[in-house]
Amino acid sequence: MKKKINKSTVATLILLVVIAISPVVVQSNYIYSVINFMLLYVIATSGLDLLFGYSGQISLGHAGFYAIGAYGSALMSLHWNLHPLITMLIAAIIATIVGVVLAYPASKLKYHFLSLCTIGFGEIIYQLIVNSPGDITSGFTGLYGIPAVTLFGFKLSKNISIFYMLLIFAIVFMFVKQRIVHSKVGRAFIAIRDNTAAANGMGIDVTRYRVMAFGISAFYTAFAGALYAHFIRFISPETFTQEALSVPLLTMVLFGGLGSLWGPVIGSVVVTLIKELLQATGTYQMIIYSGFIVIVLLFMPRGIMSFISGIAEKVKMKKEAKADVKN
Amino acid sequence: MFLKLLIGALMIGSVYGLIGLGYSTIYRASGLMNFSQGDLFMLGAFVGVTFYRYMGLPFILSFILTIIVMFIVGILLERLVIRNVLKKSTGYFIVLATISLSIFFKNLAMLIWGSTRIEFPSIFNIGNVRVGGIQVQPEQLMVIIVAWICMIILHFFMNKTKFGTAMRSAAQDPLAAKACGIDVTLTTGVTWGIAAAVASVGGMLYGPVYGVSISIGATMGQRAFSSAVVGGYGNMYGAITGGLLIAIIETFVAGYISSDLKDFIAFAVLMLFLFVKPTGLFNERALQD
Repeated sequence: MKKKINKSTVATLILLVVIAISPVVVQSNYIYSVINFMLLYVIATSGLDLLFGYSGQISLGHAGFYAIGAYGSALMSLHWNLHPLITMLIAAIIATIVGVVLAYPASKLKYHFLSLCTIGFGEIIYQLIVNSPGDITSGFTGLYGIPAVTLFGFKLSKNISIFYMLLIFAIVFMFVKQRIVHSKVGRAFIAIRDNTAAANGMGIDVTRYRVMAFGISAFYTAFAGALYAHFIRFISPETFTQEALSVPLLTMVLFGGLGSLWGPVIGSVVVTLIKELLQATGTYQMIIYSGFIVIVLLFMPRGIMSFISGIAEKVKMKKEAKADVKN
Repeated sequence: MFLKLLIGALMIGSVYGLIGLGYSTIYRASGLMNFSQGDLFMLGAFVGVTFYRYMGLPFILSFILTIIVMFIVGILLERLVIRNVLKKSTGYFIVLATISLSIFFKNLAMLIWGSTRIEFPSIFNIGNVRVGGIQVQPEQLMVIIVAWICMIILHFFMNKTKFGTAMRSAAQDPLAAKACGIDVTLTTGVTWGIAAAVASVGGMLYGPVYGVSISIGATMGQRAFSSAVVGGYGNMYGAITGGLLIAIIETFVAGYISSDLKDFIAFAVLMLFLFVKPTGLFNERALQD
């Protein structure tokens, strides 16, 4: 058991080192912008996975939290001249509060109604951005000139330097996620997901943990949104629709496999790659993409990882059967 | 002003009701949510405009043909996608599957019919009609009348015919219905067909008044599921009542306060009902959780 953990730790470390020094070899700006998007989605989907994969609550409104993070941080850094790292944190905390307020009544709802409720939440946030009071978000025009993050006198405005920042944040968020999952809180999430009545009977405060899951998840996704705002430095409402964001995030989590550390990573990487490749197909892009989701649901509903391990198991079983016949 | 808004609200509310009916019947029959309902409405409108405008068929004939085509689309949807996804996983995945289908339908429609709005040629070659002192388009009155005729037909079909009774019993208790010799797979399929057909009736009625474009699917679909929740999800009559209620609130707020709030209202009402009274006006107990 201990040896196994060591092996995976070593593999992770090697992977990290390779990723970290790769900019020396690859220097295409475009590739780094794609990778940066993957890292943003890793953070956002890790949060969604805590909610959906671990505590069993669906959300089709995570674009709303992403938007709160992005607009919150952008507005604060534009108007109050605060350091972006501080505004990101404040924006993510605001989103957490919003998430908790939403979750208190929403945690009573079962999944179909929870999906309706979260769709409603996402739409309300979207409408607020489009028709904001006093037009502070400047509607469909969007916000320009969002400041880049500066660290120790360095302005992180190139894709490669942003890549390092996002990589560090992604690792931190994944590490924290793993700590949460293996704590009392994480075990409570899983217990509630697997059998709510039994968890309740064991003395777990179901509402409290459900609300907590929503809050943590909102923090993750909003932070990713805030990072997005300071990476692209221009935000407009069409990024934050259900179709453009909430559905892809859910697809990534499902595609990578629910309730795991690496699932969201694999999902984010693969789905982002597929979307990038489909850019070439122009008007057919969304048709192929949506058809692809349906096919994934039809043929590998438990995500690509269990699909692969399922095939590996079948091959192994066949081999063993053959060996048995020979003996 | 008041009467004009009221007629507008009754008209759009009837369309919400027609689409919302589909959400409710599907939920009753199989405990699932079909998020592509709004796009079936949009497809119905496009198919209708194709028959009527591009092929030059008479309106009644294109109306009936559209219903038949969309009924088949609904049945195929259930048979090819929904049933197979359900075999391997749970209701969660149906949510994502139907949302993907909705994106699929929308983009398919954009490829076939383009992204600009298509005008529906006038159906009655008479000018506006006078109702209570105001001018009303005859197509607007047609929406209200035909929508209500459809709902009444559906009511009698579900309550007075043998097949309707079979559908209701299969929805109530699939296992017992099977034991009584009811073909539950057939009734579930027909439910999806009816949901699509009723939505397309809405599309055929909406088209002549507002024109047809790909964006109507999402907006109308969202209003319609809000209507279904407000009325009591799973209840046919609830969907209609909810549709009228949402339409009235929305139209009067837009008319008297501010039209910026219009897109906001349906969701605000939806959230309010989900939090305060999830069983809706008709106190419909959610059949499955």
